[in-house]
Amino acid sequence: MTRVRLRDLVVAGPRAVSRYTGTLLAVHVVQLIATLGCMLAIAMVLAQTFAHLPMWDDAVDGDLVALLACLSYGKSAFLAIGGVAFGTLVAWQLVSWFLVGGLYGVLAKRPEGRREVARCFGASGASTFLAYARLAIVQLPAYAVVLFVLITGLGIAAPAMGSALTIPALVGPLALGTLPALLLLHFVWTVTDYARVELALRQDTHDPGVLVTYLRTLGYVARNPVTLVHGALGWILFVLVTLAYAYLAAGHPMYGAEGAVTIFVARQCVSLMRTAFRFGILGGQIELGRTRALPPRRTDTTSENK
Amino acid sequence: MPRSVVLAAIALTFACGARHDAPHVRQLPRPEGSPALRGGGPARSPRNASYKIDAKLDVVHHTITATETLTWTNLGASQVDTLPFHLYLNAFKNESSLLMQTSHGVLRSATATEHWGFLQIDKVTVGGVPSTRLHTTGPGSDETVAELPLERPVAPGASVEVGFTFTAQLPEAFARTGYKGEFNLVAQWFPKIGVRVGPPGTEHWECNPYAATTEFFADFGVYDVSVTVPSTYVVAATGVLANAVESPGGTRTFTYHAEDVHDFAWMADPYMEVLERPAKVADGTIVVRVYHRPEQLHFASRHLEAAVGAVEKFSAWFEPYPWPVLTVIDPPIDAADSAGGIEFPMFVTTAGDTVFARRGLRLPEYVTVHEVGHNWFQGMLASNESEEAWLDEGVNEWADAKVMAELYGARTSGVDWMGWQADISELRMAVDTEPDVLPSPIATAAYAFPDMSAYSQASYVETMKALATLERTVSPAKFAAAMKAYAHQFAFKHPTGRDLFATLEKELGQDLAWFFGPVFQEVGGTNLAIRSAECRASHPARGWIGAGSAKKLLTSTEAPSTGGYVCEVIVQNTGVVHVPVDLDLRFADGVVQREHWDDKGAGNWQKFTVERSSQLVEVILDPDDKIALGSPMTRRYRLAGEGAASMRGASWFAGGVQTLMQLVGP
Repeated sequence: MTRVRLRDLVVAGPRAVSRYTGTLLAVHVVQLIATLGCMLAIAMVLAQTFAHLPMWDDAVDGDLVALLACLSYGKSAFLAIGGVAFGTLVAWQLVSWFLVGGLYGVLAKRPEGRREVARCFGASGASTFLAYARLAIVQLPAYAVVLFVLITGLGIAAPAMGSALTIPALVGPLALGTLPALLLLHFVWTVTDYARVELALRQDTHDPGVLVTYLRTLGYVARNPVTLVHGALGWILFVLVTLAYAYLAAGHPMYGAEGAVTIFVARQCVSLMRTAFRFGILGGQIELGRTRALPPRRTDTTSENK
Repeated sequence: MPRSVVLAAIALTFACGARHDAPHVRQLPRPEGSPALRGGGPARSPRNASYKIDAKLDVVHHTITATETLTWTNLGASQVDTLPFHLYLNAFKNESSLLMQTSHGVLRSATATEHWGFLQIDKVTVGGVPSTRLHTTGPGSDETVAELPLERPVAPGASVEVGFTFTAQLPEAFARTGYKGEFNLVAQWFPKIGVRVGPPGTEHWECNPYAATTEFFADFGVYDVSVTVPSTYVVAATGVLANAVESPGGTRTFTYHAEDVHDFAWMADPYMEVLERPAKVADGTIVVRVYHRPEQLHFASRHLEAAVGAVEKFSAWFEPYPWPVLTVIDPPIDAADSAGGIEFPMFVTTAGDTVFARRGLRLPEYVTVHEVGHNWFQGMLASNESEEAWLDEGVNEWADAKVMAELYGARTSGVDWMGWQADISELRMAVDTEPDVLPSPIATAAYAFPDMSAYSQASYVETMKALATLERTVSPAKFAAAMKAYAHQFAFKHPTGRDLFATLEKELGQDLAWFFGPVFQEVGGTNLAIRSAECRASHPARGWIGAGSAKKLLTSTEAPSTGGYVCEVIVQNTGVVHVPVDLDLRFADGVVQREHWDDKGAGNWQKFTVERSSQLVEVILDPDDKIALGSPMTRRYRLAGEGAASMRGASWFAGGVQTLMQLVGP
């Protein structure tokens, strides 16, 4: 197998984005629709509670006292919003198994033409959906370990954070307390990504078992730190774009209905950029995934002999 | 990078709490050289409970061994045959004390530890003769109150001298008393006599046990207190430093003298430093000192600024601060919850130092202003905090908000940070529980509230809201003058709620029973709201009009709309506190029409009907924000629903959700 360097993985990203820009936009549109649905549901809940109360306008316009009064007054509304958000996330998680499967399929098989891309996307998404669902269950213990490490780290950092009087004195222990869990989470996510790649690439030929794939990928990622570095680059870009938006948006209250539209459009631009980064990372992962040793073949051939 | 370097960096980061140099012997402070009362004027109080105490602090075990001589004078018209004493440190003795029972070992985010405290009376003398008759009185296993039956009663006008030899074991800091590391806050630490109150001839003792919600009530007197500590320790206390001398065994003895005070507390710590500044009042200056650990210097300067401002404002608005010194202790950060935010005469502890209290987020300043304010509403106006906590906590809260507004700006007294602004009192009211869920009225004895939350809500916030409402209703200038008269008349006395109400009625020239009764003595508060508001097109009456042959059917054709509107607004108050209220009706053409509901309890609702050429678009109840009672949320109502703000809010929420979506999916 040819050795794939980090540079190759990184370069594969823009190549994938430029080659399948339409696919990227299509995925983002799906995300946009889900977000819009969530937003409309939240808006309805808020309007039901606050439409006749001008104090809510003041609250949204940055009046701290009004905001606190509204939070206190509309507790049930905000609870409902939490429910809407949670429901959206759960639904998106389910949809994302299909979308990621579709993306990996397209990037792996490199179909040409809009119709062929769509067919490939749908077929791959559908064929990997259940495998990805099983993968989600298989990786639950790993998340439990991450949670344990996070709680332990924060527990160790808590006394120092509790007595912090300056930002560095707070952020230092917080960063060190959460760092092990974040690194572990990154490892778990990277393993998941490469397990998905493997399932997408070898589904038709080897039909690898989910648990075996996951365990094999654990070892693979551990032996190939480039996978972690490559994935980390994506997250760094994700965070940088998010911070840049937060920095640029600060001090621009964006009042009224136009403000609502402006906020939404600006956020979609940011989200599109982040989706593109993620898409690029998927492209690199496919490149590397191709070079992995083939999994044991599990396809049953006895039925053909009969 | 070598592994050891990484480990060292991690260890350093986690250990980045306060680090101090080894304690060293400080320069012996010079005595103040000033009288205990500014200008050395005559006694301001009856001084009928005076104490001489010699105490020595064992800083290893946090134990104080002391002798005390109390000289108590019977100011009543009846003789006294039993003296009750507060032994408040026994509140920290075990889980059976009333304090621990009522707090469940948790108070203001601090948790009691198993390092218990106690006050052990080793010897009692009355008039120099030993007595063994001192005994605790409960309730139950509580040992915070003891009675001393006397061999010979104390006649009216006569005095008695009671001596104690005692050992005070400080608990690990809890409920604003005790030690944390090397920091010692020595409060509630000595046997203190109760207060005799009531009409002449039928006086009775007030000496309540120490509960989670009860604090102080004591008589005024002169305190001469000597404390001996290791030479490396810094000491601050109630009173003026009268003497400081080196003592045997590497110790020092500091002698404090205080006049016209009703309590004495002190602090000993080897790392404290001090900032000081004069506060200027009309008749002189006061030295304000803030003791702080070095790492809290930044916050100490904020506390000092607030304390100086508070002394100046409280002095100008109520009664000049009578003592030459005010001491503010900024406890170490790990003792902030357990030792911060308590008041004693001339000596308070503050709190609020956290990384989140950025400059402009004024929690530290507010705590300082509040505690300093207690030198008026408790220090001078020494009301019975067990029975009428609202009279010092709530009145103080009301005054604090005014002081904060004066010092930091009306709209920025609570928050002025990153574009966010808020007035401190509005901020407190916004996060407030609705008053109608309170099960006890404001004028409830502190120990009779069902829980700490109800006590805090009623005694602090609701009282502040009630006074603010009255102030805005009768005019702020008149109300300020009335409160000043109250402070002047009752300084160095033990005023009650009745005294405050009577003074306000007299000074304001109004019968305010309609307000004081429901607000302070009833449950329910104010529940003002706009019940409904609607408009319909106006037109002449339609249908069969007239009778007999003149009867005529008028339809919408014969009786068309006039082009105007008939608007009806129903305002309701389902609470028990009825306050006159204004109402602004805003119409589509921009005209605002003011109505008035002289609600003093005649009914629970009022309908306003207005006919105008333009449609009503918004109703604003209490447009001048006079009524601080109740929630302001439902006092502005627009007839047509408006969804832009909700869309904007939803856009923010959905943006957050989308970010999370991108974390879990593509």
